[in-house]
Amino acid sequence: MPRSVIKKTIIALSVVAMGAFGASADVLDDISQRGTVRIAVPEDFPPYGAMGIDMKPAGYDVDVANHVAEKLGVEIDLVPVIGSNRIPSLQTDKVDLIISVLGKSPEREAVIDFADAYGVLNNSVFAEKDSGIAGADDLAGKSVSVLRGGIADMLITEAAPETTEIKRYEDENSNTQAFLSGQVDAIATGDIIISALKARSPRRMPEEMFVLNTSPLYVGVKKGETRLAEKVNEIIAEMIADGTLEAISQKWLGRGVPDKM
Amino acid sequence: MTDFTLQQIIYALVLGARWTVLLSLSAFILGGILGLVLMLGTISQRKWVKLPALGFIWLVQATPLLMQLFLIFFGPALFGKDVPAWMAACIALTLWSSAYLAEIWRGSVLAVQKGQTEAALSLAMLRGQALRYVVLPQAVRMALPPTAGFMVQIVKSTALASIVGFTELMKTGNILSNVTLDPFVVYGLVAIVYFCLCYPLSLVSRKMETVFDVTR
Amino acid sequence: MIQSFDFSALSDYSDVVRHGVYITLLLITVGAALGLAVSILCVWARLFCPAWVRIAVTSYVEFVRNTPFLIQLFFIFFGLPQLGVSMSEMTAAIVAMAINLGAYGTEIVRAGVQATAKGQWEAATSLGMTRNQAFWRVVLMPALQKMWPTLSSQIVIVMMGSAVVSQIAVQDLTFAANFIQSRTFRAFEIYFVVTAIYIVLAALVRLALRLIGRWVLATGEVP
Repeated sequence: MPRSVIKKTIIALSVVAMGAFGASADVLDDISQRGTVRIAVPEDFPPYGAMGIDMKPAGYDVDVANHVAEKLGVEIDLVPVIGSNRIPSLQTDKVDLIISVLGKSPEREAVIDFADAYGVLNNSVFAEKDSGIAGADDLAGKSVSVLRGGIADMLITEAAPETTEIKRYEDENSNTQAFLSGQVDAIATGDIIISALKARSPRRMPEEMFVLNTSPLYVGVKKGETRLAEKVNEIIAEMIADGTLEAISQKWLGRGVPDKM
Repeated sequence: MTDFTLQQIIYALVLGARWTVLLSLSAFILGGILGLVLMLGTISQRKWVKLPALGFIWLVQATPLLMQLFLIFFGPALFGKDVPAWMAACIALTLWSSAYLAEIWRGSVLAVQKGQTEAALSLAMLRGQALRYVVLPQAVRMALPPTAGFMVQIVKSTALASIVGFTELMKTGNILSNVTLDPFVVYGLVAIVYFCLCYPLSLVSRKMETVFDVTR
Repeated sequence: MIQSFDFSALSDYSDVVRHGVYITLLLITVGAALGLAVSILCVWARLFCPAWVRIAVTSYVEFVRNTPFLIQLFFIFFGLPQLGVSMSEMTAAIVAMAINLGAYGTEIVRAGVQATAKGQWEAATSLGMTRNQAFWRVVLMPALQKMWPTLSSQIVIVMMGSAVVSQIAVQDLTFAANFIQSRTFRAFEIYFVVTAIYIVLAALVRLALRLIGRWVLATGEVP
């Protein structure tokens, strides 16, 4: 890559970005100054967050996000995101917080910080009843769909044999769609999303084959924003103590908040 | 889980289509203004005006719109500037349309300019006058049909905005297809809505081709 | 806050990029060849087939030209399996590209055929050829030659448009960019480099098409 080209691009882009340099480094101050907090919530991951008929997201994560905003004492700006856009959105200042079924991984810890967990998600492999997939080794020669860059992607990439065809989709919509339309043999994703799906009796019924991991869901904050993270931790602790989180969990997931969180 | 009826699906798609129309119009208007400036740049006698204009057009045409969109969506943020999805889509489509429109219009102007400019200059007109009174009026007639045709391309290209998360027609379709578990019907309907937006423009373009046929 | 640019993370992923380049080139090669075949067949069908076939061809051309490639792709990949027509993402991508190029190509080749002098048809038929024979042996080649530059541009446009096949998990060049982005989270650097690679690929494809034009079609001129 010729250095001069890069230089020119940087110059060109800094012209575009002019006037933004003065932004303060502390997001918590920005939030109270602005009077709104921008939170990334899932738009295609029911029942954690999905678009309703009014094209507004609703679900477990959305309720948690609303509650966090309320406790911060500011208005909320819900930003619906697809899985692969969550971290770039935070990195590039499009949102202040991620509350969007975000699990921890070393790759992610290298680029963003995590506040405390507010929920739990089981990542499992699903396939048709008679597929005979009991463990990762049985995926040999089979195709499995995942969300690109998601926790399931990382786990499957690690665990599946060489001959497994991993199909990486951009969003959860396409991921589930790929399984339902018969484009892949199996799908790796959260267990709750599949139970929501089964309730709508799809033509191709996904059954749980094996559990990949149990992943706590964390609130994501920008690297170095410790004040904001601490504030969020306070709010979450409060939500657990006063039963708010339990109520949200019962409402959307039909189960309580697990102890191991 | 909400159950969608066919009417609700169509209603939601039409709501999504409003954003497609709005995005198309802004890209066309803003892209048209920028395209005009670019076109004038490319026919300039001055190299330092002409070369950057030509270079920009070449660059846009040699790279995928999706990449341009990603770069605008993620690029400025490195400098702390937030570009929301709709704005990234609008900027990318504007730049993209301006390059193609400039190319179309440049073609028309050059086609008319041959010979006619000399004729106008020999009548003691200035270059600017020749352009303004002789070349442009004819070039506009010539450029109208392909311009209308290109509007179809703009409408279709707005579908890419869905990839950076702007909820226009295509994105609405994605969401609905996941909720209804009926991609065949939903994507079929989305295609029909796009067709209803684009086909009239195609017809207008074709009609103009016969009306403004300069080779008559 | 200004993040620093860091291209070093990219070097670990050169295999992913190489594979992406290979897939993108494979897609455009097969897609363009099939698309051209579709174009020629459609032009032929419009000249020689019964009315209902001509109407079908016209509808196909109009529908494809007036809907986005992305929706065509999603319809083929996600929608068609509902009718029992299921294909892999690579096949779906190639089919979508061929269908897309075919529609534009039909219009382009048709313009070339129309521009062929009436005398050529007459000369051919007076030599005892049927009009069908005249189409294949006399009219088609000059028409392709004449329209080759336009066809070449359209092929490059389809290649640029092929960036969206990553949305159905085809591992093309854009997929490589997205993949690396989700592993390294260096969005801008990656898209910058991959955009540059697209420029090189576009230039290569244009060169290849020019050579094909000169050697196979013997256009004898530089398009």
